Amino acid sequence: MISVAYAAAEGQAKSAGVPQFEPSMFEHQIFWSVISFLILLYLLNKHVIPAINELLDVRAKKIEDDLNSAQAARQEAEKVQADLNNKMTSANKVASDVFEQARVEANLHREQALEELAVELEKKKSAAVEEIEVAKKKALADVQSVVVDVAIMATEKLIAKNVTKAVAGKMVEEALQDIEKNKANLH
Amino acid sequence: MTLISSAIASEAAQASAEPKMDPLHHFEVHKFVDLSLFGFDISISNSVLWMWIACGFAFLFFTQGIKGGKQVPGRLQSLVELGYLFVLEMAEDIIGKKDGRKFFPYIFTLFYFVLFCNLSGLLPGSFTPTSQIIITGTFASIIVGFALIFGFYNHGLHYLKFFVPSGIPVLLMPLMIPIEIISFLARPVSLSVRLFANMTAGHTMLAVMFFYVLTLPIFASWLPFGFTVVFTGVEIFIGFIQAYIFTILTCVYINDAIHMH
Repeated sequence: MISVAYAAAEGQAKSAGVPQFEPSMFEHQIFWSVISFLILLYLLNKHVIPAINELLDVRAKKIEDDLNSAQAARQEAEKVQADLNNKMTSANKVASDVFEQARVEANLHREQALEELAVELEKKKSAAVEEIEVAKKKALADVQSVVVDVAIMATEKLIAKNVTKAVAGKMVEEALQDIEKNKANLH
Repeated sequence: MTLISSAIASEAAQASAEPKMDPLHHFEVHKFVDLSLFGFDISISNSVLWMWIACGFAFLFFTQGIKGGKQVPGRLQSLVELGYLFVLEMAEDIIGKKDGRKFFPYIFTLFYFVLFCNLSGLLPGSFTPTSQIIITGTFASIIVGFALIFGFYNHGLHYLKFFVPSGIPVLLMPLMIPIEIISFLARPVSLSVRLFANMTAGHTMLAVMFFYVLTLPIFASWLPFGFTVVFTGVEIFIGFIQAYIFTILTCVYINDAIHMH
């Protein structure tokens, strides 16, 4: 009786100890932990690791492709930009050429106009000079005829009378007064 | 005689009637089905059952996470990829790019086996397989034994130089070589005891606190209860940390076997 009771008590004491150190529970746990690990290893290695690997590889490839195409697009854009720049430069050149030409033409027109104007002015000037010359000649001719008249009149008087010096001076004076009087008729 | 036995029995009965502090109850292994294979005990117990449940959770977590395999990952898929890359980086950092890849499936499985076993113990009414020293010991012995064999396989007898520290005066050799050998032999012990003790201590602490929650008067019981709430979070963290340490040390041991020091 005692032995049974003590065995029971001992059993209880044993179960109250640290249950992890119960050797009768070791064998099956060793076995199943190894087996479970191997099964999990098999499952993960077959169904999970290749799938994730593939997923990541595909994504890496896609990212790489995207980067490459982005690079290509960038190069394309750079080319287009360079093209545009070239076109802009040539357009600018054409514009400046046209402008330059227009400027040259305008200058030419201006010079021509100035020349024409100068010619016309020259013409007008020479016409005026000619007119003045004619007028001058006419005036001279008038003066000449007046002088001739005076001379004739004076000669007449000299011939008609014997004049003294005083009389002669008087006559010249008279003649001059005549001329003065006829001045308006001279021009 | 009968008096003594009845006294012991009644004492036992009385003890079981009251709420009994038994924080180690969680770690008791009960066989459900007795099985044996060639005289080897392969019974199925709560420990084995929860090991399977943990493995099932791990497998489900990953298969559900990568289902569809979208290029733009959802939440679960991001988590799965993160968990995958976390272990991959650990293996590649420590063992090296090429050899790390070679051992990656084993390290990956080991990490998630240990992690899910650690975390499964936090479910109410569950069991923590990694709180059994025999389970952590089995893994630790296999890992260190494999590292030893692999080291000799890789380097032949040169692997014995592993126990001879370099740059030490010859006079100190008789002292250093035994120390190195002892430290090598301590590896499986420290590896298994660390995980086992952490899991056991955490769950024991929780059990003690729950006992106080049930026995203390209501005005005081909220204190241990609050503590259990906080400590459950800490236990989740410890479950991660211990799985990480267990795995990273495995990587270090494998690396030692490949590259020596």
